[in-house]
Amino acid sequence: MSEVLAVDAVDLTKTYGPLRAVDRITVQVAQGEVYGILGPNGAGKTTFLRMLFGLIRPDSGTLKVLGRTWHDDGIATLQGVAGFIESPKFYPGLSGRRNLQLLAGLDGGVPSARLDNVLDVVDLGARQSDKVGGYSFGMRQRLGVAAALLRDPRLLVLDEPANGLDPAGIRDMRALVKRLANSGLTVLLSSHDMGEVEQICDDVTIMNTGSVVYHGSITALRKRAPQQAHEITTTNDDRTAVLAASRGLEVTRTDAGLAVRGPQDEIDSLVADLVADGIALRGLSRRETPLEALFFMLTEATPDTPTRDLLTAGAPR
Amino acid sequence: MTLTTTRTPSTPDVRVMRRPSTVTVLRWELAKLAAQARSRAVLIVALIAPVAVVLVLNGQEQPPSDTIYGRHIHTSGYAMPLLMLAFAAQWVLPLLAAVVAGDIFANEDQHGTWKTILTRSVSRGQVFWAKTLTAILFNLSVLAVFAASTITASALIIDTQPLTGLTGQLIASGTALKLIIAAWATAIAPVIGFTALALLLSVKTRNPSLGIAAPVVLGFVMQLLSSISGIDLLRRFLLTTPFESWHGLFTQHRFYGPLTTGLAVSAGWTVLCLTLAYLALRRRDITGG
Repeated sequence: MSEVLAVDAVDLTKTYGPLRAVDRITVQVAQGEVYGILGPNGAGKTTFLRMLFGLIRPDSGTLKVLGRTWHDDGIATLQGVAGFIESPKFYPGLSGRRNLQLLAGLDGGVPSARLDNVLDVVDLGARQSDKVGGYSFGMRQRLGVAAALLRDPRLLVLDEPANGLDPAGIRDMRALVKRLANSGLTVLLSSHDMGEVEQICDDVTIMNTGSVVYHGSITALRKRAPQQAHEITTTNDDRTAVLAASRGLEVTRTDAGLAVRGPQDEIDSLVADLVADGIALRGLSRRETPLEALFFMLTEATPDTPTRDLLTAGAPR
Repeated sequence: MTLTTTRTPSTPDVRVMRRPSTVTVLRWELAKLAAQARSRAVLIVALIAPVAVVLVLNGQEQPPSDTIYGRHIHTSGYAMPLLMLAFAAQWVLPLLAAVVAGDIFANEDQHGTWKTILTRSVSRGQVFWAKTLTAILFNLSVLAVFAASTITASALIIDTQPLTGLTGQLIASGTALKLIIAAWATAIAPVIGFTALALLLSVKTRNPSLGIAAPVVLGFVMQLLSSISGIDLLRRFLLTTPFESWHGLFTQHRFYGPLTTGLAVSAGWTVLCLTLAYLALRRRDITGG
């Protein structure tokens, strides 16, 4: 792994009037990493990526991309960098291929075979001659990836690549990103979906309202996640709550019934207890994954709430 | 999705991406312009419309006598291009100048493509100059086509009789042709000025419709202002005034003062508008488009 970080952002701050969109965040991504920037809408992820691409200027802090800075190197900072911010946009009256040709022209042009190649990679070969105005959202996302790949980047930045896609599109996009990540690229992926980041990324920075609330590996984060929670509805929720508590399960009331959190074998035993007690089980389903639960705890927490204490290893910075 | 293609983007044959030159960016912008139906339509209109206008005016028994050279259009084919120039200066040339220039920046906002462009290794300055040069080159081409079509149609449909000058002198056919070409050439500077104005409005409004319509409206306002007596100093600085600077070429004793003033005024408008547009684009936070 190279010593030069792919992304080295230190104490970056960006304000829009009274709104502090990004507040002294530090993000460091080593080359070859698949790194996630995770947070709910409005967390500051896209603002950070806009600063990375030089679309906006930070108010303070330093930012190096593959060892270059906007201050010293100007547009050369984007050498080796490609990707898209928010949803990729193209000229709707031109075909997908023509759009790629035009963009490639900005990089000095590419051979026709290379266009064929990237269009095949994103599975748009058959629709390359169609006008982009007729493309679905997912096709435009994939064309965005193709446009980025044309630059043969060392750092690929993807902002919510699965956003707005249908389930099949999400599956395909994740498969594509995983494949690109496995090829040795450094990938910086922004998402609000913990499941997506968990599947693809090695390390993650979690942001909330402009600040970093966690940074570290997915493995370390997983260790600190709470137990799996289940939604349970029965003919006697009061008695069920007593039985669950007697097994050491954490019980909370929900609109639908009860949420119980604890080891899987204890949940299994609780179901047996219910049957023995003559209580009919009307529904039992998994709630969010443990990591998702932790993500919600982090991003719905205020700075004073104790949920932050869950993360002593991955300290906010 | 089929993911069977084996080439990966970071395999050892990685190309070294070099920063594109401004000429490369200009070529990119020209290719985009060539792909636009609107730009082709403007060129076709500039080619065909003068022929139709010449045919219609030539067929009228009553010439437009209240307009400069209007009363001479039936006596010399060289009068028609001057009448057309005077008429076009009122709104046609500002409109033709704004159709591409007023849209060229704003359509990136409209399509949301600023991020697509600026996330490649191309600077805002390069994009600015490429778009500016493209708009100017295109507008000068339109002006040339418009002028050539008008002059040719007039000569073929009417005739090539000598032209009566503004002070009543007779101008020989060959000289008249040269002077008419020179008269149309005087429109180059104000057309560039209107192009710069449209570019500024395109950058500032981020709205193609406003970028196109506003220069035409401003042109009308300037025409109105220039017709008000007692504001001669202000009139001199209006961008529409240079469109009239050719009058001195058609008098017995030619005078070139309005030409030099027109050039200076047009240059002033051009520099001011382009500077403001450049600074606005450089300083803008690209958050939406």
